Amino acid sequence: MGLIEMIKALFVTLKNIFVKPVTLQYPTQKMPMAEKFRGLVDLRTEKCIKCNQCVKICPTSCLDLSVCSQARSQEGSDKKKDFGHFKYNMELCCFCGLCEQVCPTQAIYMNKIYEIAVYGRDKLHIDLLDTGKYDEWAHPTVK
Amino acid sequence: MTISILTFIIMVIVGVMALGFIAVSAMFLIWWERKVSAHIQTRYGPMRVGWHGVLQSVADVIKLLLKENITPTGVDKAVWWAAPFFAVVPSVMVFAPIGHDLNIGVLYIMAMTSLCVLGIFMAGWGSNNKYSLLGGMRSAAQIISYEIPLILAMVTAVMFAGTLSIQKIVEAQKDAWFIFHPSMAVAFLVFLIAGTAEVNRTPFDIPEAESELVAGFHTEYSGMKFAMFFLGEYTNMFIISALAAVLFLGGWSGPFLHPIIWFLIKTYGIVTLMMWIRWTLPRVRVDQLMGFAWKVLTPLAFVNLAVAGWVLLR
Repeated sequence: MGLIEMIKALFVTLKNIFVKPVTLQYPTQKMPMAEKFRGLVDLRTEKCIKCNQCVKICPTSCLDLSVCSQARSQEGSDKKKDFGHFKYNMELCCFCGLCEQVCPTQAIYMNKIYEIAVYGRDKLHIDLLDTGKYDEWAHPTVK
Repeated sequence: MTISILTFIIMVIVGVMALGFIAVSAMFLIWWERKVSAHIQTRYGPMRVGWHGVLQSVADVIKLLLKENITPTGVDKAVWWAAPFFAVVPSVMVFAPIGHDLNIGVLYIMAMTSLCVLGIFMAGWGSNNKYSLLGGMRSAAQIISYEIPLILAMVTAVMFAGTLSIQKIVEAQKDAWFIFHPSMAVAFLVFLIAGTAEVNRTPFDIPEAESELVAGFHTEYSGMKFAMFFLGEYTNMFIISALAAVLFLGGWSGPFLHPIIWFLIKTYGIVTLMMWIRWTLPRVRVDQLMGFAWKVLTPLAFVNLAVAGWVLLR
């Protein structure tokens, strides 16, 4: 008779009732991402030496860096180059993390943002020099 | 027989109150079942609508009310339309003698709850769908089979009390609940198993076995008609639990608290027990179900009845 097994099963489920649920209340509670999680490409502008290695290694050519050399003549500036623009096309990005690996100064890195759906294609073209570029992404709001 | 206007008004008010109670009770039970099942599976269940999702059922009812009334082509229209009413009306009829001491109370309740199978079978036949028909057929076979041990268990309680009136059965349990008597404890077990089968709940939910029959007899139903099947099902569960509380657990008698509160505590306690069983045990096969009813439960109920008779006559 499976009666004893049935009673055992009933105790298992009874015990489960008092176990804290494992569900994450998603929009209000969020899972902390793993150390090695590769989210969106982000930039520490002050560390960047504009070596262009990230752009070269990117398999999908989603990074676009241009440099202007006007700063060289400015007095007091120890920088040899200055940013023209640094664009990141998320539409093309395959989140491989090669740019992060190749960067000699850890200037370019992949952050922990994982809610990367947007309402327009233009929003996938990101200016990495804009400090507030991911404000909307980190706290997504439903329209 | 003439009825005065006042009596008529009182009857209408009591009727509306009973209907309100049935609807609210069914909505509460659906929410409660979702919560119990969720916590058994270490989930939260509904959490968004109201405090801990308490208004989820209200939202669901509004959704079902607003849904389009679909009649599939090929259905037997008259039967298909009438089936949800036949499923729900008998459960509501059970509440008809509220406030009266019906001297055949137990018999009346059993007669009414037995009629629910008609609605289920009509739904299965009228849907013109093989899965629905299989569900309806299974339901008919199951309910007829399990009614025998169910009634035998009830007869044991009736024998102990010496009456069919529910109020007198409760009065008979003033000193000690029937369940504390060995032969009544067996009867309670038989009643609970047969009752679970009567209301088509897991482990005896083969009429609507999702993995075999899509949704069984209510596959083709949607919107309000589907809601009526649900209402009937949960009301039946309440009735079976209330009956178990009355016949074996002393009904509404208890210290300190109001009788109604005692009655609801006992009834919903048994309902929770049925939910606990549902979310623990797997579904049985059709042959196991029928074999268990005829080869185990019915003989056990008969033996128990004989033992109870011997104890009473000793």
